Amino acid sequence: MLIKCNQWSFKFGLALFAAVLATPALTAPRTPTQDAAVIERLPFRAGDTRAKALAEMRANVLKAPDDAAASVTLAQAYFNLALALGDPRYVGYADAIVARFGSKMTPDLLITRGMLQQYRHDFAGALTDFAAAKSMDPDLAIAHAWRGAIYLVEAKYSNASQECAALLQMQRAVLYGGCTGLLQAYTGQLADGYATLQQALSTTRDDDRRRWLLTRLGEVAAWKGQTAKAERHYRDAVALGQDDGYLLAAWADFLLDNQRPAEVAKLLASWEASDGLLLRLAEAEALLKLPAAAAHIQALDDRFAAAKLRGDTTHRAEEARFQLRLRNNPALSLQVAMDNYQVQKEPRDVRILLESALAAKSAEGAKPALDWLQTSRFEDAHLQSLAKQISQLPLSSKKSESKS
Amino acid sequence: MMRFVLLMVLLLCQPSAWAHKASDSFLVVDAKGMAITAQWDIALRDIDFALGLDSNGDAEITWGELRARQNDLSAWALSRLDIARGGACSLAVSSLQVDDHTDGGYAVLHITGNCPAATGDLGLQYRLLFELDNLHRGLLRLNLDGVTHTTVLSPSSGLVQFSAEKVSRWKQFTKYLEEGVWHIWIGFDHILFLLSLLLPAVLVVSMRRWRGVDNFGVALREVLWVVTSFTAAHSITLSLAALGLVSLPSRLVESAIALSVVLAAANNIWPVVEHKRWLVAFGFGLIHGFGFASVLAELGLPADALVLSLLGFNAGVEVGQMAIVAVFLPLAFLLRHTRFYLRGVFLVGSWLIMLVALVWLIERVFDLKLLGF
Repeated sequence: MLIKCNQWSFKFGLALFAAVLATPALTAPRTPTQDAAVIERLPFRAGDTRAKALAEMRANVLKAPDDAAASVTLAQAYFNLALALGDPRYVGYADAIVARFGSKMTPDLLITRGMLQQYRHDFAGALTDFAAAKSMDPDLAIAHAWRGAIYLVEAKYSNASQECAALLQMQRAVLYGGCTGLLQAYTGQLADGYATLQQALSTTRDDDRRRWLLTRLGEVAAWKGQTAKAERHYRDAVALGQDDGYLLAAWADFLLDNQRPAEVAKLLASWEASDGLLLRLAEAEALLKLPAAAAHIQALDDRFAAAKLRGDTTHRAEEARFQLRLRNNPALSLQVAMDNYQVQKEPRDVRILLESALAAKSAEGAKPALDWLQTSRFEDAHLQSLAKQISQLPLSSKKSESKS
Repeated sequence: MMRFVLLMVLLLCQPSAWAHKASDSFLVVDAKGMAITAQWDIALRDIDFALGLDSNGDAEITWGELRARQNDLSAWALSRLDIARGGACSLAVSSLQVDDHTDGGYAVLHITGNCPAATGDLGLQYRLLFELDNLHRGLLRLNLDGVTHTTVLSPSSGLVQFSAEKVSRWKQFTKYLEEGVWHIWIGFDHILFLLSLLLPAVLVVSMRRWRGVDNFGVALREVLWVVTSFTAAHSITLSLAALGLVSLPSRLVESAIALSVVLAAANNIWPVVEHKRWLVAFGFGLIHGFGFASVLAELGLPADALVLSLLGFNAGVEVGQMAIVAVFLPLAFLLRHTRFYLRGVFLVGSWLIMLVALVWLIERVFDLKLLGF
């Protein structure tokens, strides 16, 4: 008994020690003893090409604060950095630049503000800004493309279809292909969607567009169960160079789905700073039983807590996945996944909702996702199998009810 | 397991593990009457973006680089924070430190200030970084006369008003009640003094020897007299000191408290006062009251609910004492005839208490540190 108690208190002490270490919020302010002590590392050196380019754009804005074009250039550069590095501070910088213009908005400023709003999941605000931009400049194809993308996320497919049609009318083949290809893929026409995206890819030489189309082709191929094809698309996209958080996440998910966690651990080793990528890295490390998993899981916990403190809910899809796969907490995961589904209704949002509901044995919680599967006729075999498992749930959930 | 802990330490210390998150500052403001103290944690990345800290352009910010810009930093930060209570409060940065949050290194500004009024609403206007980063938020925790408010400050809600009226009197009372209980619980000298007086409560002296009392009523009456007179006495001096009417040097008070414990314990071993122990409790209780007052001074008394808080604290001390009595008295009464109680608990206990208190007395008189508590 005595030994048991000692063991217990030892474990408790150790756990407490670990908890104290792992909670940065608990550290006390300190006074460094040496001037040379490094207290922070910045994203890049002042002499780096990226930093130089940014400094030049910033100088242009300072020189002509009322010049909308200079401000749009800088804001877009910040936004691209945010997407590449997964660092939301740059979204805030871009937003502040745009906000300076108040109500004196140009179409380009409106497009930029809309992009920033959709990044923060303010889809209604973004749709309004894109519509306003389009009404000021009817030739602005990008406004249709963005509106189409938002409607796809919201699962409003007839609205999305109208935006795609507008792009066709404006003879913007690549934008039209991207819009329609995804619409087809999401609505029960995976093969057609794949062909449309492939067609769009063949008509563009722009690396950014090619990377995006290749990534989406990889996703569609994976849904079709064509693993080798999907892998080739992802590898082609990565080979184009340039950091892209969305691509890395999709490629990592593909590898995880195919039981290749070791490659994920290698791919994302230096991407801990991005929450979404750290989640995938931690999943891979947990599967590989690497000691680093514990620290990364703790770090994610801290980051979700920090986001909650400021009222940030943009990472709910990731948080649900974290609670389900790394914290083994299906009840909480289901709740977060349901909240997320209120806002985002893409296949990955449907998937985490189904997985959480299955783990929590709640057919009721899965209902919105099951409804989506039925109306959209989405063809992914994995989601169909999840739905089938859930359809067999009521029996088991009744059983557990009668037990309690 | 140990390796795992070590690994965690290593990983947490790696700066590359810092997260990307939107910019926040952490502002903790404590407003007590006219006095303001605050701690403001601002991300070094944000300061660098606004003021440029990396003077040698090596993408590393050192303590020296931050210190060199301390005046700029203070002026910049304070120009973006206004606090008002009966007019604008003056704010100044008293010291600079650093800390780490989930997304990297932070400068920690310690701020002190003074407001024109000691009561009434408190207004706060925050506009740090808003012109540079529209997603920046200030996470505010405000302690206004003992009541905590939290809020997130954004460009659209940078100006906030906190009503001092909302302070719940009951909450304030219970808060000080809790503090009173707590300080009896952690105040070893008070507990030992009380125990010295309680130990003989279940005994009477006959023919220069202690023996157990016959009935519980006698013991209970004795205890109630002792505890109540102790409370009455320390309430008087505590109130006098807290209201600023009397003030004694703390070393004198602390020494006198130690002496009171020595004398109370010694009286059990060599009885001088056998009856009317309540008088002893009252007399020494006056001294203990000054001891509580120093605790209360550290806690701070809200100007607008001074009497209520005092009452709460006194009631808390009484509740704490009664809890000790409730545990001690039935046990002591049961055991009062046994050799274990008479020799072991009463005599040896009193000796031990006297010795500990003697050490305290020496420590406090000569300002030494001998015991760990």
